[in-house]
Amino acid sequence: MGMFESDSLLCLTIIIYMTAALVALVFSGQQRISILLTQGLCMLAGLSGAASALVFLLSKEEAFHLNLFSSPIPFLSVDIAFDGLAAFFLLVLSMLVFCVSLYSIGYLSHYIGNRNVCAYQILYVLFILSMLLVFVAGNGILFFMAWEAMAIVSYFLVVFESENPETRKAGLIYIVMTNVSAALVLVALMLMYQYTGSFDLSHSAEQIPGNIKNVMFVLFLIGFGTKGGIAPLHVWLPRAHPAAPGPISALMSGIMIKTAIYGLLRFLLDYLGAGHAWWGYVLLALGIFSAVMGVLYAFISKNIKRMLAHSSVENMGILFIGVGIVLVSAAGGAKEVAALALMATLLHCFFHAIYKGSLFLSVGSIHFATHTKNMEELGGLIKRMPVTAVLCLGGALSIAAIVPFSGFVSEWLMYQSIFSSFVLGQAGLNILLIITAAALAMAAALSAGSMIKLYGISFLGRPRSSFAESAVEVPKAMNAGIGILVSLSLLFGLFPRIAVNLLNGIVSDLLGVPIKDQLTGNVLLVSFPLHINQNAISPALALGLCVVVVLLTLLFLRGIGGKYSQRIYGTWDCGFKALTPRMQYSGRAFSKPIKIVFRMFIKSTRELKLVGDAVYHPESIEYNVKTESALEKNVYLPFIRGVSALSEKLKFMIQTGSVHAYLLYIFAAVLVLMLYNRVN
Amino acid sequence: MSTITYLLLQIVMIILLAPLVNGVIGKIKALTQKRTGAPVLQMYFDLHKLMQKSAVVSDVSSWIFRVTPYIVFGTAVVAAMLVPVSVRILPDSIPGDMIMLFYILALGRFFICLAALDTGSAFGGMGSSREVMISSLIEPSVIVVIFTLGLISKSTSVFIIMETMAQRGSSFIGPVTILLFLAMLMILIAETSRIPIDDPATHLELTMVHEAMILEYSGRHLALMEFGAVIKQMMLMTLMVNIFLPLESFVTVAGFPGVALSLLIYLGKMLVLTVIIALIEVNTVKVRFFSIPNLAALSFILAFLGFMQYFVLGRS
Repeated sequence: MGMFESDSLLCLTIIIYMTAALVALVFSGQQRISILLTQGLCMLAGLSGAASALVFLLSKEEAFHLNLFSSPIPFLSVDIAFDGLAAFFLLVLSMLVFCVSLYSIGYLSHYIGNRNVCAYQILYVLFILSMLLVFVAGNGILFFMAWEAMAIVSYFLVVFESENPETRKAGLIYIVMTNVSAALVLVALMLMYQYTGSFDLSHSAEQIPGNIKNVMFVLFLIGFGTKGGIAPLHVWLPRAHPAAPGPISALMSGIMIKTAIYGLLRFLLDYLGAGHAWWGYVLLALGIFSAVMGVLYAFISKNIKRMLAHSSVENMGILFIGVGIVLVSAAGGAKEVAALALMATLLHCFFHAIYKGSLFLSVGSIHFATHTKNMEELGGLIKRMPVTAVLCLGGALSIAAIVPFSGFVSEWLMYQSIFSSFVLGQAGLNILLIITAAALAMAAALSAGSMIKLYGISFLGRPRSSFAESAVEVPKAMNAGIGILVSLSLLFGLFPRIAVNLLNGIVSDLLGVPIKDQLTGNVLLVSFPLHINQNAISPALALGLCVVVVLLTLLFLRGIGGKYSQRIYGTWDCGFKALTPRMQYSGRAFSKPIKIVFRMFIKSTRELKLVGDAVYHPESIEYNVKTESALEKNVYLPFIRGVSALSEKLKFMIQTGSVHAYLLYIFAAVLVLMLYNRVN
Repeated sequence: MSTITYLLLQIVMIILLAPLVNGVIGKIKALTQKRTGAPVLQMYFDLHKLMQKSAVVSDVSSWIFRVTPYIVFGTAVVAAMLVPVSVRILPDSIPGDMIMLFYILALGRFFICLAALDTGSAFGGMGSSREVMISSLIEPSVIVVIFTLGLISKSTSVFIIMETMAQRGSSFIGPVTILLFLAMLMILIAETSRIPIDDPATHLELTMVHEAMILEYSGRHLALMEFGAVIKQMMLMTLMVNIFLPLESFVTVAGFPGVALSLLIYLGKMLVLTVIIALIEVNTVKVRFFSIPNLAALSFILAFLGFMQYFVLGRS
């Protein structure tokens, strides 16, 4: 165990996190120092975690096990299993933690004096630590405990600004949904123990009969799907993510929901071994549904954080599509296609964590500077927060999958893996695949549209309120944190081979075949960085060409029209001479056409109130539009009403409040257990 | 053929001839209305004049407004470099992926839509919002066309698709290609803001889409925006004629005369497509804005039927 090997670095990382929590507790009196020390230690832990993962991935080490702590109680031991998949997710987590902690140094300054910074920071560190343990857990019990800890700690972080009733409600929905998810995962893990006699994740799953595997698939799907916010189980996500403080939403959307993808890959692909093709079909269908629904709701949101949360639902849908193709093609024997799809999925996971993190931090900055999340009160921030504006544009271009940012690379590989899966050649699958491609294309276009809305309404034009008018640039540490993420997105967009080479080992570990040779190689500056299906893209070349064209154009214009001269004048107002910020296009108006086209899925109710006697000359007009999800209205609400009506009735039958009845229940339960043991 | 020759040829054929297409369409429209109309070269005169004028810039706008014309022009030119005017001359060092082609155009569109919101004018917001709707609705049809063509040629590379279509010889007309051609024609109309989706000749706030977005532009900025738009149009038309009318495969002469002949054929094909577009403009009116989803759905259905025809029924 050398100093710079991944196992010692991993232990070091865990120790630094624990120290950080301790430091936050010790310095709870001096908030400023505590923020600097704790967040600084988290940055250090992020570096060491990333180093541990990078050392593992680059040196192609063998997977290893570490037993950090074993107790006399059966199964209760800290068993760590570190393989390529764990290393990859640890890398994503650590990179994000580094940037988010840097950002937090600035962000937390507005908590000083009015909030419990100590509690926040301890929860923050525990949240990161629990996610880390989810990724490296070597047995089912540790995995489940970390999973549950992650859920509970994140609940407290979601409701941290608990004076707002919306936030408390969001927290309640979150904790209910996330516990349903945990319960299902627990049942699946118990089935796993029942048939293999072990919670060890490296244990062979051969003894599990086929139909039990199917049951486990359904349990894992719903369990992980709920945590990942896949539609129709996503209702908590667009509520909880906007309610949480900026750095926490970045971590939740960036990496916490990806634990679902980790779980699916770990249990379905690695542990159960990619069973039937229908698993893939189910994932594909759910993915399509999520991608389209997520992006539609993102497009119509006017709360900037909620828009990003809905967009996370969309991206989880894209990831589900990726995992679906992996399962379908692995079951169909097309291992090379599965490898390509797995690479696309992992890259999308990686890049989405980077740019979604940067976007959540950017809108956190907007909230920090203007104290509002409502787009209709923003505007003109590009002049007041110029650095944030540039960084947010980078994030927006990445998520809109636009060349030359990283979003495009994973999107393109996703298209190419769908394209490659046509080799499986089943008519039904072909139709599903072409619909997937079409849905992905529409989701990408609408996602670009929602980013245009987010950026155009909040950063451009005139300020729509006094908050926006008086906004000032945020502290440098915040912009530095976002800046690193945006630069990474650009770097991987221009030179995607860096990421592909890094992840190649994981793909070959999981599927037994490496990614095609055309995609790998150690060259940084090859002309065709991504080359697949006799076809290639080179974002760097396209960008270079574009720059050359623009420079030549500038020269040409100078030759033909002389030096550039401009006249600053008011916006065209048809001679009206009194344009106000309220006359600008609003966010709601911007998304109105899409809302009308997709009115089937988006129900809105309008209220128009005229004040005054005269119908034609009212004194004032009140206009209110409420948009609600058709899904929540037609499925969730009736279900919740049913459950509460049922428990209302049961109150008088089972849960009467009488101690005698409860003693009887306990007695009956013991009796049944004894009988069960006797029979067995 | 070396890359330099290819690039030069692309610049001459696509970029320099692009404004001519609008001139020809304008002339045909004028002739059908018994007018003399503007000269065919009018757009060149306009661009030349605009490039010499100084720009008027709104005081509300930011740097986004000022860089957008260059990005729009730059992306249009880069996209044009990926679509060869003739399969006789293909570059070996340029990767030309059809999906990337449309995503490069998306960069230009992203910035046009932002710039429209940048001046704080209601016109710009209106155009931007409408453009987002039209482009998102037409996108599924684009990807189905690309995938179907790609599956026929085993790759989504523009070059390989064009070569495969050219090798099909006289069987280039078939149910699949006709369906895809019609779907692509609607994509072309939507992407280039033409009647019946949008009307390039109007400045009425009720109807304009593309014009509303560039309303605030003037001088050389406007020149670049309009030039970028016609280059994009020329590029999409080139893509269409070279995929669906691969007539140069009938040229048997090799070497330089063969290339020259194939370029002549290319010009002829472009003229035919220009006349088709002009006739559509003359014979239809701009549809109501909320009928555009129907047109987009029609385009998607045509593309989807083309796909089904080939890959599910197995008939080309």
